[in-house]
Amino acid sequence: MAETEVPAPIAKTERAKPAELVQLIVFRLGDEDYGIRIEQVKEVTVTPDVARMPKTPPFIKGIANLRGDIIAILDLEERFRLRPAGRPIPERSYIIAVEAADYVLGLMVREVPRPFTMPLSQIEPAPEFVQDSSTRDKYLEGIAKLPEGGVIIVLDMRKLLTPSEVMRLPGKTASS
Amino acid sequence: MKTRDQEYRELFMAEALEYYDSMSRHLSELERNPNAGPALNELFRLMHNLKANARAMGFADLGEVAHHLETLFGLIRDQERTFSGALIKVVFAGVDALGNMIRAVGADQALPDATALLDNLDRLVRGEEPILEEAEEAESEEESGKKMELSDLVYIQVKKLDNLLNLVGELVIDRDRIMTLAQEIGNPALLATAQHLFRISDDLQYSVMDARLVGVGVLLNKFPRVVRDVASAEDKEVELILSGQDVQIDRNILQIITDALLHLVRNAVSHGLETTAQRAAAGKPTVGHLTLSALTERDDVLIQVRDDGRGIDTEAVRRKAIERGLTTAAAALDEQAVWALLFEPGFSMASKVTDISGRGVGLDVVKMALDSLGGQLRVESQLGQGTTFTLVLPTSIAVKGALLVEVEERPYAIPLMHTDTVLALQPEQISVVGGMLVTHVQGQAVPLVPLQLLLHDEGDELLPFADKADMTGAQQVLVVNYNNRRLGLLVDRFIRQQNIVIKPLSKPLDTIDLFGGVTLLGSGQVCLVLDVPALTRLFLTKRP
Repeated sequence: MAETEVPAPIAKTERAKPAELVQLIVFRLGDEDYGIRIEQVKEVTVTPDVARMPKTPPFIKGIANLRGDIIAILDLEERFRLRPAGRPIPERSYIIAVEAADYVLGLMVREVPRPFTMPLSQIEPAPEFVQDSSTRDKYLEGIAKLPEGGVIIVLDMRKLLTPSEVMRLPGKTASS
Repeated sequence: MKTRDQEYRELFMAEALEYYDSMSRHLSELERNPNAGPALNELFRLMHNLKANARAMGFADLGEVAHHLETLFGLIRDQERTFSGALIKVVFAGVDALGNMIRAVGADQALPDATALLDNLDRLVRGEEPILEEAEEAESEEESGKKMELSDLVYIQVKKLDNLLNLVGELVIDRDRIMTLAQEIGNPALLATAQHLFRISDDLQYSVMDARLVGVGVLLNKFPRVVRDVASAEDKEVELILSGQDVQIDRNILQIITDALLHLVRNAVSHGLETTAQRAAAGKPTVGHLTLSALTERDDVLIQVRDDGRGIDTEAVRRKAIERGLTTAAAALDEQAVWALLFEPGFSMASKVTDISGRGVGLDVVKMALDSLGGQLRVESQLGQGTTFTLVLPTSIAVKGALLVEVEERPYAIPLMHTDTVLALQPEQISVVGGMLVTHVQGQAVPLVPLQLLLHDEGDELLPFADKADMTGAQQVLVVNYNNRRLGLLVDRFIRQQNIVIKPLSKPLDTIDLFGGVTLLGSGQVCLVLDVPALTRLFLTKRP
């Protein structure tokens, strides 16, 4: 790939002047790493009892009681169609409670999410052609390339969590 | 419970003392700056209000002093008198006298005599010099010994009470959970503490609910004016009779039904009652009677709007409904079912549009307000005799009785307000009619539908044709009732009846109208609360 040499110089300039750092909560969806800015995350917990809610798209796992708040639980693997075949969400999963404008939603993830700090400049805006090619990419803040290789896809929760987006079915085929 | 008189007196006292404090404050300002316009206007207004309140409560002397002072302040405002000299002394004496009188009312004593003061005020109004008595000097001694008092009432924003109620709701949920856990653990000390917590939170919940109650009168008392306006616009003579103003109800419930009640009252005057000439021709008293009354029935509050007008012309409504395709002539709906059509959106019987009614909006507003509260609407009508609309309202929004049922191993709650009866039916008691399961309850055919089918129905297709071939053993049926339509829901089992605290669904799930909210069970389990109106509507659009 042409850009492989890019991360190193950036890392150097960051050291020279105090870089603006960004803290992410990183989690796995399918085989990809995703990140959310930590200020958009309310808390991370083990998934509580989730009541399936009829009349909702399948990627809404249901509702759960999180310290007295009843929140909707979303399965982003299903929403973005990233679920690897034959690997269902394990029995013990985790919830990342994220704050939208005026409500809280839970994202169900298969592994314990981990915090990750990096310079803001490391997040590159998603290439234009990817932006509107599929539902997932509409909600990207950017893609962070890691010095040790690999990327973290940084999601913009404010775009993802508008009520109409949450209730929307991915693609038109599945809807009635 | 307090009587209405006591309550009104307390309110009067609180307001009067507040007025008195403001008066003293504004008076001091006026003394410093005799041209302070705002202070003068405020004094005039305060006197006017105090006069009106005092007269309404029957404290004539108090009203008289306030009236005189009001006149005097009016003159000062119009610059016919100046706030100076002997006038100042008399005014201060006047306000002090008001204070003494208000305190006398509070202490339930006879009002002090104010003849001398009134004479002086009269003299000032006439432009004469007041006669100041020597005794006044001695009074200032008394003055310094006067107690300062704070009002016994606090004003509080409804928002704060809402917040308190929500917190209590959460507390009750956790209390139930602790109770369940304590029973499981079986430690006697823990159990005793849990029981104590149970009682305290019960009392707390009751107290918070009680703090939110207001007399229905606060709403009903607004209607004389409304009725007068509508009646004069329609050129009708209407006598409005109010009763049950002291029936207590949650303030927010009253708020929600305000528009609904306004519609019913306007409707009654505009459509229900006939014109004077029509009434005379029908041999009825020329003045129409409209009764607005509130009463309690078990845990519910009933608000009735009763008129002695022409009554509902059932056949005309039926024709109109057929015309509009809401029903067919063949449907042979009974009276109640036809009346229910009046509450369909956009249904209006008015043949002419007036200022007040007949725009095709109306009674569905009533139905919607009631649905949102989990209330019910009853209609009684006799052609030529009049119509009565009864709103059945819960006293409080916080706690509702509900029946818990289980479908596919998940609990669902159904508010008791909409449940009719519970049946265990053998397959042979159920028949298949036109693809629908039907049974007979008290001689009436009631359609049945598996609740699970309604919950999981997706897309636009109609429900599959019913088949009772795979039905074995007793079927658990919950008959629900909405707008005079009965529907039997087949459930897996009944869990129990219990009081639940309904939490509204948060965004983005609040768009699903099938659920009125959620509640948390003692076990910590999340339980969806079914909305019977929405469920019934879904069934009606999806039945095969």
